[in-house]
Amino acid sequence: MHIPDGYLSPSTCVVLYGASAPFWYTALRRMKAALSTRVVPLLSVMAALSFVIMMFNLPLPGGTTGHAVGVGIATIILGPWASILAISMALGIQAVFFGDGGITTLGANSFNMAIVGSLVAFAVYRLISGSAPLASSRRIAAAALAGYTAINASALCAAVEFGIQPIYFKDASGAPLYAPYPLGIAVPAMMIGHLTFAGLAELVLSAGVVAYFQRTNPGLLKNTAPANVELGREEPGPAGWRALRPLWIALALLLVLTPLGILAAGTAWGEWTVRDFSSQQSRAKIAQASGNATPPAAAPRGLERLSAIWTAPFAQYAPSFVRRPAVGYLLSAMFGCGAILLVSLVAGSLATRARGRPYELS
Amino acid sequence: MNFLENSLAGFLNALEHALDAEDLARRRGLLQRLDPRIKVAGIAGLVIAAAMARRLWVIAAIFAVALLLAAASRISPILLARRVWIPVLFFTGIIALPAPFVIPGRIVWTFPWLGWAVTAQGLKSAAFLVSRVETAATLSVLLILSTPWNAVLKALRMLRVPVVVVVILGMAYRYIFLLLDNARDMLESRRSRMMGEMSGPDYRRMATASVGVLMSRSLQLGGDVYSAMLARGFQGEVYVLEDFRTAAFDWVMLSVFAALAAAAIYYGR
Amino acid sequence: MEDNQTPAPPAVFDVREITFRYRQVTALDHLSLAVSPGKRIALLGANGSGKSTLLRVLDGLAFPEKGEVVFFGEPLGEARLQNFEFACKFRRRVGLVFQNPDVQLFCPTVMDEVAFGPLQLQWPRERVQESVDKMLEVMKISHIKDRSPHHLSTGEKKRVALASVLVVDPEVLLLDEPTAALDPSSASQMIDFLVGLRGEGKTVVTATHDLDIVEDIADECFVFQAGQVAAQGTPNEILSRQSLLEQTHLLHAHRHIHGNNVTHSHPHLHSHKH
Repeated sequence: MHIPDGYLSPSTCVVLYGASAPFWYTALRRMKAALSTRVVPLLSVMAALSFVIMMFNLPLPGGTTGHAVGVGIATIILGPWASILAISMALGIQAVFFGDGGITTLGANSFNMAIVGSLVAFAVYRLISGSAPLASSRRIAAAALAGYTAINASALCAAVEFGIQPIYFKDASGAPLYAPYPLGIAVPAMMIGHLTFAGLAELVLSAGVVAYFQRTNPGLLKNTAPANVELGREEPGPAGWRALRPLWIALALLLVLTPLGILAAGTAWGEWTVRDFSSQQSRAKIAQASGNATPPAAAPRGLERLSAIWTAPFAQYAPSFVRRPAVGYLLSAMFGCGAILLVSLVAGSLATRARGRPYELS
Repeated sequence: MNFLENSLAGFLNALEHALDAEDLARRRGLLQRLDPRIKVAGIAGLVIAAAMARRLWVIAAIFAVALLLAAASRISPILLARRVWIPVLFFTGIIALPAPFVIPGRIVWTFPWLGWAVTAQGLKSAAFLVSRVETAATLSVLLILSTPWNAVLKALRMLRVPVVVVVILGMAYRYIFLLLDNARDMLESRRSRMMGEMSGPDYRRMATASVGVLMSRSLQLGGDVYSAMLARGFQGEVYVLEDFRTAAFDWVMLSVFAALAAAAIYYGR
Repeated sequence: MEDNQTPAPPAVFDVREITFRYRQVTALDHLSLAVSPGKRIALLGANGSGKSTLLRVLDGLAFPEKGEVVFFGEPLGEARLQNFEFACKFRRRVGLVFQNPDVQLFCPTVMDEVAFGPLQLQWPRERVQESVDKMLEVMKISHIKDRSPHHLSTGEKKRVALASVLVVDPEVLLLDEPTAALDPSSASQMIDFLVGLRGEGKTVVTATHDLDIVEDIADECFVFQAGQVAAQGTPNEILSRQSLLEQTHLLHAHRHIHGNNVTHSHPHLHSHKH
């Protein structure tokens, strides 16, 4: 998700620096107004914290691990403006000090992760948590979804930035100069990883930390709750996490059912690729020549076969883009992810019954 | 177990990188001698030139310049390979791998049995991506390996980055290490107390609780640091020492950087 | 200051009946005490007895909800410290060394750290440079001036923290647990330094629970308990009152089994090295 130097053309970088600048400016002004002189130490410490959070390796359901950006939890505790600044600064330090991300792409990375991420997380969190008491399990669900949505919105932005590179930036022979893949490949390729691992890492982190604060220091959640919200009487903790289970189930079902959803919304998605290559034909040829299994990307073999299963039924009536292998990957990945979630939920509740104690996750 | 180990390895890697940088920045060499402002401006210029180039040989030439700078600054290629080249190749290489097959264009070769076609344009675009990313990453790592972080900050200040941003970056960098140490202590004490296997949910609870603890501590720390700043006369505006002495050599190198970047941009059109 | 007709000079700090609450906990409870100029005061108390809070109040970082603190005849209020002129004057005259050097050392390098105070007080650049160089020399930290505070040992951090406060040459020095977390040799270095301050006529207020150092660093002690002053006296008087020290958790019963006889003015906890 950290776009390194070299993936985006200088003009794209300039545009995204330009797009970020007003947000940075507004955020800094708002923070100064709200915190006056306290803004300097607080933002410093928060930027340091975001940096450290990005290094945490989080265990995910299904036995894998992933890294979170921390944008969900940063937004919930600090509010969107402080989160924008803290994460942007952390990205800046990462770019300059560790060469993680890039100097020219700092604007893009901040735009995607810090700005889009924080604003989306804030909107989702406020929308779902509403005026629920601070200790209510609804806030955990809201945090989970805020983190998950935010990171995927960021990934989508990055994917679109990648995807437009080959449209505008080619050398004389037609070879793409920067990120080489068009939207049709870039979007699904980015989204697979984020709808699954990175998204789940963010989800686990946001929900887990909110649950932790509900037990230890609910006052910290006041920042992004409506002014008159009360603490709430219900016992948080394990109960909170159990209440989160419907959300997991809903998410799993949603993922399993996405292929249908995409089919229904086919035309809307199709628009992503309207401006696609004039050479679509030739790529289709390559795809056919290789047994309908291009691109031989980093995607595992099993996925490839799954993708054929998904794309096959669409052959007759779906819009042509659905038949693309790339879409197949996306659908298979979402299906796979949903299936893994469902299985681990079932396994979890079985194990709970066997052990005779409630299923805790916090 | 691997979650704990991976996190710890990440923290250690960051600390080690910082120590490497502090150590190398104190050696005597070309880049170490330069005024940080000129170094930041010069290297940024080369990175931008590398990002703009539309010809592979120009990118290769900038990479060669980076290698020369490294050699003149006593930064070993082994360190660069370990810190930059191999990780970048691994990450970007995998991303570039399908390009020769996916990008449409003139077919130069076909895989004997599979029938996959490799295009000239695809090969070229993969080469562009990998070389550009390697070059830019090498340059930015050279900058940090030859410059103490506080000098980078001061250079940013001189390059008209607002003082409040520079001060925050400086404090953030300082507290990153405190928090990394904190995080490491938490995980290590956890590891030492661990008996047998931990279940996935237990792992998750522990990881998120660790982040929660770190977050509470950070908020507390932010307040305490604020008091410490007030106690020494901070009233909202931060003033910093700015002592830069540029020698003739700095100006020579600045013109060298400028000429190189300009030439690269011209020939790379 | 006009009504200053009393023969004695005004107290550095005149603390009048202050109450301070931190969330629900009462940290200071109708506390009164006075600090006269040039005196070296020790605030003794177990953790949580309110001595750190008092230092923060004396340094104008926290403000009591009841009562007032008068600094050289001028009340020390939140509004007063908003005034730029007064704040500069006050910060120049009073310095606080925090217990945790990681809180105090927030700058990228040791040099920046020591220069922070004088720069905020808007001294001219040459004077800043001059005093910083001198202070680095005095505290023997010149060789680490370009290092990041993170990479220093605890002893070095404490010295840098002290240097960063002493650089503006405050006449009142507030110290919070100056020897906490130090190894014995760094601690004795620190004590030597604090003993050396006696000759400079500074007013020094030290909060500590380390009874070993009290005789060396203080002329007068206040024993704190639950946000109030439980006792007051010279180090000798206080250290000889074993029951008081036990009652205020400054002394463990089993630790002074070896404190062999009552003819001594105070129980020996450890052998002193001077």
